[in-house]
Amino acid sequence: MAEVSISSLLLIALVAIGTYSLRVSGLLLSSRFVKDEGPFKVFLDHLPSTLLLALVVPSILKEGILGLVAGLVIMLCMYKTKSILLSLMLGVLIVALSRNFL
Amino acid sequence: MKNEFKDGFIANLPIGISVFAYGSVLGVLCTQKGISLYELALMNIFIFAGSAQFVMVDMWSSPLDILSITIAALLINLRYFLVGASLSPLFVNSPKKDKFKYMHFATDESWAITMQRLKNEQITPLFLFGGGMCIFLTWFTGTFLGFYMGEFISNPAKYGLDFAFVAIFFALALSMFKGKEDLLPWFVTALVAVVFEYYFEGKLYIVVAAISGSVCAAFMKREERVNG
Repeated sequence: MAEVSISSLLLIALVAIGTYSLRVSGLLLSSRFVKDEGPFKVFLDHLPSTLLLALVVPSILKEGILGLVAGLVIMLCMYKTKSILLSLMLGVLIVALSRNFL
Repeated sequence: MKNEFKDGFIANLPIGISVFAYGSVLGVLCTQKGISLYELALMNIFIFAGSAQFVMVDMWSSPLDILSITIAALLINLRYFLVGASLSPLFVNSPKKDKFKYMHFATDESWAITMQRLKNEQITPLFLFGGGMCIFLTWFTGTFLGFYMGEFISNPAKYGLDFAFVAIFFALALSMFKGKEDLLPWFVTALVAVVFEYYFEGKLYIVVAAISGSVCAAFMKREERVNG
């Protein structure tokens, strides 16, 4: 296992333990949270989408006009087809074409 | 009882095809970041959560920022707390041992298929386990295929492959859009991300912006209840 550094091993272990704990604790503590429609549940519900959005918005802007075009095409494609894979391919295709031919 | 495992496995096969395809994208990206096949395999086996693995690989750098990556990955995976909570009807007659055994295999895909089936049929946790194994195998083989393909691609940016992260995250975020009540929280998230990223070093903007947007959503919900 020479190709695994100590720091990456530590990182993977931390995330693995945390993720497994989340999966199991949600089930074990469910009675207290499932029915709860309070602000905390709304906060948790929104974390995945806002986190992904926070990751991408600066990168899209840095790509310039064609980043924006790719972003718009992805939005349109998701709205029409709901296919993540197709949206991914269109977005990458636009950026690839612009880098090679513009 | 044994058939429930098979049923779950088969029910997840169609979605498994797209999991295979994402997996291959992750495999290619790993080669760009200098992540070894062992590290990829360890993540697949012990973390087994697609979006979080994409975020980890995206943030992977030398030296590793262990704290920021762990926080970001676990925030992404916070939803598994809710996934776990929503599965309680499935485990209602199960011993605790089964809960510990099968929950690792609850992914977005196997969970969604299980919840759908649970509406109309009496199923046991073996269905979830079978589905999870299907996703596990397709994910694992997809990432390995991508890893081997990636080694043949010498200039990934030429093919826009670095943009694959952005495109996949953006599409995933959009797939979670629930309606116009999300517009303001999403706008807040985007604005905070751009401003914070501009003024501060590092990857902290991701966590700060996500928390700002989600707090905004929670406040809007409270206002609605107070006024409505």
